[in-house]
Amino acid sequence: MSQSSAATAPANEFSRELLDRFRKIVGHDGVLCEPDELLVYECDGFTVEKKVPDVVLFPTSTAEVAEIVQTCNEFDVPFVPRGAGTSLAGGCLPVGGGVMITLTRMKKILEVNLQDRYAVVEPGLVNVHLTQHLAGSGYHYAPDPSSQGACTIGGNVATNSGGPHTLKYGVTVNHVIGLEVVLPDGRVMELGGPTEDLAGYDLVGLFVGSEGTFGICTRITVRLTRDPAAYRTMLGIFETVQDATQSISNIIGAGIVPAALEMMDQGIIEAIEAAYGFGFPLDAAAVLLIEVDGLEVGVDQESQRIVEICEESGAREVRRADSPQERQLLWKCRKQAFGAIGRLSPSYCTQDGVVPRTKLPDILEFIIATGEKHGIRIVNVFHAGDGNIHPILLFDERDQEQVERVLRASDEILGKCIDLGGSVTGEHGIGVEKIDFMPRLFTDDDLEVMASLRMAFNPDGRCSPRKLLPTAGACGMEQIERSQPGKQAAS
Amino acid sequence: MMKPAEAEYHEELVAATATEMGRLLQENSDGARRPLCPVGGRTGLGYGFPVAANSLMVSTSRLDEVVDFPARDMTVTVGAGRRVDQLQKDLASEGLRLPVDVAQSHRATIGGAIASNTSGPRRYGHGTLRDYVIGIRCVSANGQIYSGGGRVVKNVAGYDLCKLLVGSQGSLGVIFEVTLKLRPQAPTTLMSWSVFDDAASVEAVLSQLVTSAARPVAVELLGEHAATQVLAEAHQDRPLGRMVLCVAVEGSEHQARWQADVLEEELAANGVANTQWAEGQSVARLLTILTDFELGLDVPLSFRASLPPSKVVGFCEASLQRGVVVQAHAGNGVVVGHLSDEILSAPEANDVLSPLRELAEEHSGQLHIERCEVGWHDDLLLWGRARADWEMMLAVKQQLDPKGLLCPGRGIEAAMSQAARGMA
Repeated sequence: MSQSSAATAPANEFSRELLDRFRKIVGHDGVLCEPDELLVYECDGFTVEKKVPDVVLFPTSTAEVAEIVQTCNEFDVPFVPRGAGTSLAGGCLPVGGGVMITLTRMKKILEVNLQDRYAVVEPGLVNVHLTQHLAGSGYHYAPDPSSQGACTIGGNVATNSGGPHTLKYGVTVNHVIGLEVVLPDGRVMELGGPTEDLAGYDLVGLFVGSEGTFGICTRITVRLTRDPAAYRTMLGIFETVQDATQSISNIIGAGIVPAALEMMDQGIIEAIEAAYGFGFPLDAAAVLLIEVDGLEVGVDQESQRIVEICEESGAREVRRADSPQERQLLWKCRKQAFGAIGRLSPSYCTQDGVVPRTKLPDILEFIIATGEKHGIRIVNVFHAGDGNIHPILLFDERDQEQVERVLRASDEILGKCIDLGGSVTGEHGIGVEKIDFMPRLFTDDDLEVMASLRMAFNPDGRCSPRKLLPTAGACGMEQIERSQPGKQAAS
Repeated sequence: MMKPAEAEYHEELVAATATEMGRLLQENSDGARRPLCPVGGRTGLGYGFPVAANSLMVSTSRLDEVVDFPARDMTVTVGAGRRVDQLQKDLASEGLRLPVDVAQSHRATIGGAIASNTSGPRRYGHGTLRDYVIGIRCVSANGQIYSGGGRVVKNVAGYDLCKLLVGSQGSLGVIFEVTLKLRPQAPTTLMSWSVFDDAASVEAVLSQLVTSAARPVAVELLGEHAATQVLAEAHQDRPLGRMVLCVAVEGSEHQARWQADVLEEELAANGVANTQWAEGQSVARLLTILTDFELGLDVPLSFRASLPPSKVVGFCEASLQRGVVVQAHAGNGVVVGHLSDEILSAPEANDVLSPLRELAEEHSGQLHIERCEVGWHDDLLLWGRARADWEMMLAVKQQLDPKGLLCPGRGIEAAMSQAARGMA
């Protein structure tokens, strides 16, 4: 086939022959092709753009994934992998239709080796299930996205997911040491493995975060991390957002790297309090959730220093979580904050910009002004210690005019992140949502190099077409137009 | 140190700016098409397959400025030619550090360290350069300037070129600027020195270290010969045995001493009663020498074996039985071995290496030769047994350097060529 046909072809007519082939591979219960069944898969956590796939498949083994991919090549249809669909940037949107390969039935923990500090898992394993499996062993899997109760480790690999504790422990790529992948041509290949310092390029590091455009990972070897001996979790309460952001800057500036340093503003506090009733002060402009961990002999000294810094920076009060149960509840409130947003509006769009930590006051001021300018309510809950903001723009997706205002406001916020020396995504990925920002972040030469890397893995562009890179590069792909928000994915 | 016959490729291209370097490389690509070899502090010239004899050395020595050092953001952007020692001094002035050990850091440049993915003992606690490079800028063989990442600590926009370029040995571009994530300095570091007369005792201690109440940042295992050389170089007098285990801990004075006490109790519970502790300048000196020791000065061949950590002691024992001088980053499963100067030819070296390579591969690992005498390369399997992912590495190389100008014959092409000749 030509390089462009897979990427630009309209939704393929799925012949009976092709569906029969898929049924032979994954069985009848591994194929969804009825319109009402497919509707569930029309979008991920980025609900602004939608496209129903032509068929959804549920393989249960690497061999089945490889056979599906080979069949897609034979029949010249595009395909896209999907985990739990919690991605917030449209990373698993089936642009142009085609086959969606859902990995959620490949969810086994294949090996845990504490002596050598690694585990081997299938991609559909829910993130938190690995840590639950390891409970009591003295080890855990460090990346903990807020959606860890639902998101899959394969999806985390695709987007290089972060989470609150990545401030100290790093993002997914820092914890993935080996991958088994099905390449876009159907070959199965091992990249890296449980041993370190293998000769050659770090293809594992390159593959992580490639958003499904380099192939489908079918087995993941992850590094396990020692559990901290002790935690101290604090809640700093502030009268102004500026005082809170100044505290963040002062904590990092003092050379303290907490395990997590999260901020929530008044808007989100109201929703969380209504949902979970933790006892957050509703009159506070912002709260900081701060956690230090490490040796028992060190955490008290560190937490005391943080309390002092917060108070010097204008905190009204700094509370400490007195028990493991209280700590757990605090983290539940933080990680399930997005679940509380339904109390505020029918739809929301979360942004994922990053700024240098010292620029947090500037970007938060800009977010407030942008919300006012566009008449959009924006609340904030984010990874402050990393400078990774998550402004949540509230709207009603049934109102097209509101959707357009949300997109304009989002674009302005992300543009400001770039102007402040930052990035448009810290952990959600580019997907289809932020594709227009790539030429603002990178030069044509940078993008050409990225396109050439995609050529090495995915020369036909059949795997996850129209993702991550804005230009055709060498693949003849067309840019998604943003002129019709919510419609372009179907084009 | 092995001599890479420097006189054969002394011609140098020294550019003061990236733009100038881009123009010069573009002219080369359009015209003479000389093979190019990026160099920093020249500590890695003897690494791997030999540099093509007519190579033009592309030096980053003048690209050494601190571009941006927002200390309160805990990041720094520097020219690739900055010496690592100098960089650490810059960072120390703000109480920060790059917590990665780099051999010969007074000579090595940060760009060279990244291109060769250098690390040392403290990788157990702090990881490697892969974990600290958050932005990177390069000049391609055809003069194109390209970059990946950025200047913020968390960023997943685009493909992660930083990971690809760390350890790429200059074969995908000339790194001219990098942005690094930093960490606070550790006020106190202490290191234990414990002697063992048999492998089983070391094995028992290492297997318990993974659940130690302390949190070591380095777990180093030395054969007796290596330990003797390290002590001689450090001008320190400590006990010796068949194997020596060094464990480093760090933190505030209180934290470090608490961990040292805990470790000593744990070691004693395993029958190890001879533990000594190094601190202050003494521990700094030991860490420097342990880092430099990897380079294998004045030996005919050095190799690196990758193993599961639980197999390190057995591998070290097998190496010692063959007269190999061994140093292991035991917690990471990485063993560096130096052959003795009694080995006079490639076939003799092969006799020593073959069973060790088989042992590493038996445990899903690998043994690759990092440095060897000039003239031995063709007769030794430098990268070990061919792996399936080499094909993809070659595809990446061909995409980013289609004319094959950057370090031709030094990396993946040479390894695959050996494999094609039936060596693997």
